[in-house]
Amino acid sequence: MFICGYHFPASEGNDVSFDKVIEKVQDGVDATGKVVTLTGETVKGEVIVNLVVPEGTFAHTAFVDYFQNADVVGDSKMVYYTNKYQISEISKSVDGAVTKELCHNLDDMLLYRVKVA
Amino acid sequence: MSELRQIAFYGKGGIGKSTTSQNTLAAMCHYYGKKILIVGCDPKADSTRLILHEKAQNTIMQLASEAGTVEDLELEDVCKPGAGEFHPEDETITTGFIMCTESGGPEPGVGCAGRGVITAINFLEEEGAYDDDLDFVSYDVLGDVVCGGFAMPIREGKAQEIYIVMSGEMMAMYAANNISKGILKYANTGGVRLAGLICNARMTDKEYDLAKQLAKSLGTQMIHFVPRSNHVQRAELRRMTVVEYSPNHDQAMEYKELARKIIANDLKVIPTPLEMDDLEALLMEFGLEDDVEEAIVGKKEGEA
Repeated sequence: MFICGYHFPASEGNDVSFDKVIEKVQDGVDATGKVVTLTGETVKGEVIVNLVVPEGTFAHTAFVDYFQNADVVGDSKMVYYTNKYQISEISKSVDGAVTKELCHNLDDMLLYRVKVA
Repeated sequence: MSELRQIAFYGKGGIGKSTTSQNTLAAMCHYYGKKILIVGCDPKADSTRLILHEKAQNTIMQLASEAGTVEDLELEDVCKPGAGEFHPEDETITTGFIMCTESGGPEPGVGCAGRGVITAINFLEEEGAYDDDLDFVSYDVLGDVVCGGFAMPIREGKAQEIYIVMSGEMMAMYAANNISKGILKYANTGGVRLAGLICNARMTDKEYDLAKQLAKSLGTQMIHFVPRSNHVQRAELRRMTVVEYSPNHDQAMEYKELARKIIANDLKVIPTPLEMDDLEALLMEFGLEDDVEEAIVGKKEGEA
């Protein structure tokens, strides 16, 4: 199955543990010192949310990883809806209160774009 | 050369099955150079219109009726190359191509629609449509598994991996569960497997959670959440997929990602369908329906 864009072989079933996903996302990514910003926009392209992803969290690493590896062109990259929900789900579980507000936003229906500087 | 994979898109009528399948297959061809044959198994014959840039293709059943019998037809009569970049001779954008055919069916209210599916698949096989060049054959199949005819692609083991297009609405989930029952029935005899749910989102609350939980309960994955986009409709007005119409658009990127996952997917399972009570419990758990007391059933707003 696919989580955060990564393929987990069928032998691992349809309920891959968050630990395995985190391990894969963190592998080869140095997110230290990077500033991750998100914008959330309506279907008409109107930006109504600006967010900074707290450093040191899974969400921060995951968005840096997404920005570096997602096959999307641009200075800021559109975040696949599937990925934003999956990142939120795992972050809620492992980042706790630090990303609670961020995850609350990610769970909505807005289209998010990520920028890493 | 890779082995031919026979996939199918099933789903409730009106869920966006044909739109989803054509955009996804277009993405598999456009971005990944895949060679594909689409076999439309819906009497509406709208499974290939966006690839052909046509209103509706002449169907095998329609042409057979005009010619006398299906034996009077040639493969070229019923199997058409895609338009523009999807044509086998057009390699400006992709070396992939898409061939299109529609089974069709009888006039409304007359005969068995599923018979068209059976006749079409047998004809295509006998005429050598499933040739060695192809990477994928894709069946686009109507609605619930309501009769043996529409179950033909899975019953005979033609389609080996099934993608169910659904949304977070109750009837779409009911249909997804029902289709899973059909797959289960033929899993051991035909070798068919459930390969994933595709959530063609209606953008309702907690839709991702609901679709994911249903997938988990069925023993499969929610392979991709496709958001709603007006750009799909803009492309459809031009009888095009959004992939061809606007290949760098956000929505085209969503289909590209879904295409990548389908190409790489190896999670193919015998599903574990839910009982109706469990399905309703799932809907209540994720807030689509409030838990109701027996006393308020049938009461109008304001009465209870």
